[in-house]
Amino acid sequence: MKHLRKISYQKPLMLLALIVIATLLNRSFLSISNIISILLAVCIYGVMACGTIFPLLNGGIDLSIGSIAALSGSVMVLVTIHFGYTPAGTMMGILAGIAAGAVCGLINGLVSYYFLVPSFVVTLAMKNIILGVAQHITHQNTIICLESKVMNWIGTGKIAGVPFLIWSFVLMFIVVWFVLNRTKYGKYTYATGGNETATRYSGINSRMIGISAFVISGCTAAISGILLSCFNRQAVATQASGYDGNVLVMLVVGGVSMAGGEGNITGVLFGMSLVGIINNAMLLMGVDSIYQDMIQGILIVIAVALDYFSRKRSIAVQTKKMEAKAA
Amino acid sequence: MNEEKKLLYMKHIRKAFPGVLVLDDVDFSVGYGEVHGLMGENGAGKSTLIKILTGIYPSDEGTIEVDGKEVQIQNKYDAASCGISVIYQELSLIPTLTVIENIFLGQELTKGKVFLDRKAMRKRAQELVEKCHFDIDLDAAVENLSVAKQQIVEILKSLLFDAKIIIMDEPTASLNIQESESLFEIIRRLKAQGTSIIYISHRLEEIWNLADRLTVLRDGKVRGVLSKEEIEPAKVVHMMIGKDLQEEDSVVHDPIAGGSVLKIENLSTPELLDKITFEARGGQILGIGGLVGSGRTETLECIYGLRRYTEGKITIDGETVADKAGRVRKQGIGLVPEDRRVQGLVQGLSVADNIALTNYDVMFRTSYITPRKIVETADKCIRQLRIKTPDGMTKCMNLSGGNQQKVVLAKWLERDLKVLLVDEPTVGIDVGSKAEIYGILRSIADQGKVVIVVSSDVEELLKISDRILILVNGKVYDDIPNRGLTADDLLLAASGMSKKEEV
Repeated sequence: MKHLRKISYQKPLMLLALIVIATLLNRSFLSISNIISILLAVCIYGVMACGTIFPLLNGGIDLSIGSIAALSGSVMVLVTIHFGYTPAGTMMGILAGIAAGAVCGLINGLVSYYFLVPSFVVTLAMKNIILGVAQHITHQNTIICLESKVMNWIGTGKIAGVPFLIWSFVLMFIVVWFVLNRTKYGKYTYATGGNETATRYSGINSRMIGISAFVISGCTAAISGILLSCFNRQAVATQASGYDGNVLVMLVVGGVSMAGGEGNITGVLFGMSLVGIINNAMLLMGVDSIYQDMIQGILIVIAVALDYFSRKRSIAVQTKKMEAKAA
Repeated sequence: MNEEKKLLYMKHIRKAFPGVLVLDDVDFSVGYGEVHGLMGENGAGKSTLIKILTGIYPSDEGTIEVDGKEVQIQNKYDAASCGISVIYQELSLIPTLTVIENIFLGQELTKGKVFLDRKAMRKRAQELVEKCHFDIDLDAAVENLSVAKQQIVEILKSLLFDAKIIIMDEPTASLNIQESESLFEIIRRLKAQGTSIIYISHRLEEIWNLADRLTVLRDGKVRGVLSKEEIEPAKVVHMMIGKDLQEEDSVVHDPIAGGSVLKIENLSTPELLDKITFEARGGQILGIGGLVGSGRTETLECIYGLRRYTEGKITIDGETVADKAGRVRKQGIGLVPEDRRVQGLVQGLSVADNIALTNYDVMFRTSYITPRKIVETADKCIRQLRIKTPDGMTKCMNLSGGNQQKVVLAKWLERDLKVLLVDEPTVGIDVGSKAEIYGILRSIADQGKVVIVVSSDVEELLKISDRILILVNGKVYDDIPNRGLTADDLLLAASGMSKKEEV
């Protein structure tokens, strides 16, 4: 009974309906190769979402993740080229890329929490600043990098027939699920997002929780930028533009509250699948690319509206029951 | 009583929610220009009755008469047209708008139905303010006003549509003594002008001061309607809880040998605290009284590491207390803050998660946690403190005030505690839960722990403290054992005029 109440059937049902419709429209939808291509299309967003969920749960937002992905990809490729494409050099590149993301995240966090600027403003400004830095270090060129074996393997290698990119998302997902649900840090994150004051009064350094969330978000954005560069075998300052919007859509569609304190990483799976399935089904059906964004938008609005409506109603029903019980 | 004409008459009101009878054949009447008290424990049916009166719930049976005519109240507009208005605990004003904009929100006066008639609105508002002798700046933004002033805005709002009955739900819950006094004055003035007031409160003295009559509810039934002369504390409490409340023997407890000792020396902060020095010993409950702004809450916040202090030394059992809340907590000091809704609890989290919030370090040695242990710990606390909740997974926002406060207390009971600082332990809490909370505090003290209670409720201080510290303007004014003290002694001391000195 206790656990039943927490599970909502709305989202799985919605996904199932979509899958059935897509399969009816095109038999090849459910083929293994198509499922893998759906996942491949969204897994880099997924890696990003795994980290960006932290600032959101704290009641903030991170709009700089697209730029961080561009910068980190560029840093990684440049460092790799500098060391002459060796595996060790590539590893150095990857570490440098992640470090760059972490530093950007740290700046986001410090400015938000020490100068008390809303993270919306800080990260929006940082988005442009970081993009500028990325353009500066790449001289606005596309930097091709075909010779690094490690990069190529990360980008296109497979384990058990499944691309490494998908595995990296799966790994990230498991780690974040664990952190959010089975560690003190995860609990403090929910508490801080739910009520920062009460968390502070409980003797928890909620400011550290908030700042570290941005560092995590910066790191995952960096990793997704690196994955993207490996996949494309190149780096360019515009490589992840628009990712921030897509990732935030996946998070919010997945039920993460913009006010903080509510939502879980499993919801993000739903958001990712929804976006992935819609896009893929349109491709299979040969929808003109002019209309794809529009149709995607319409379907997302419908899905979110249905989900919010049913949640609001179930909350109303629950409150009535509680009131009845209390009285 | 039936021969005289009533302004409001609710007859045979019955209301059931699935499985529970909330109101059972309730009769409730209010006369013209009458202040009518409504009391009952949380869950007695007070709010349901008010919700029926204001059209939020329909009643299952029963009728409502206003001015002798039967009326149908199905929504708040019906209620307003019958002249019924409510001032809720959580005020419903828009903080960024000015007083005048708030008063006329949704009932703006217009020229030609489109343009706001600012002049007419100002004139109307001024008339009301003058008529009632309110002291308020019509152009001030509401967010800059005190809660007391905000209540005046709410009252003005209801007077605007000629409210005949104003319902006040715990209006003094967040007011200090002077603010409460001026609210009482306002109520008396409203009454003199013929407005009736339904006054809901847990504070018997307020009811006794204000009310012409009192209706007591328990378990959805009217347990008595008392006229002013009949209102006696023991009688009312008996009606409310269905049994006599055991009078605590006012024994002054001595410090327990070997108990913890908290020492505060010369604690100072700019403009707030001035060389506060005192010592609290385990086994005793130390009450801190004083007016709002005298530095009581600030003292607790300094001890708990939430507020920086420029000078002074705080030690627990000889060990210096850290200046960061996280470390202070590890040294065995806990704080039950003043505002449980904002500072005490994360409302959107479950009871279990809230209790665990201060205890992760003692519950789990590593960073890895298990939900099972969190739930088990919560279940233990729920049993121990008799917290009324369906289970530990229920969100705190669904609990009543008294039970929420027990959850805040539970946050500290799982730890190896030396000092518990409690700020306003029973604001807005019913008599039954109050007694339970006093019991919990006493049992903590009996274990040799230091308990410090800050309260604006003088009766409360007298009832639970073994020693009382009075702060005046950030200084320790008096430090007295609670032997034969009266409310007058404390109030005089709090205003800086001790009786001792007069004699």
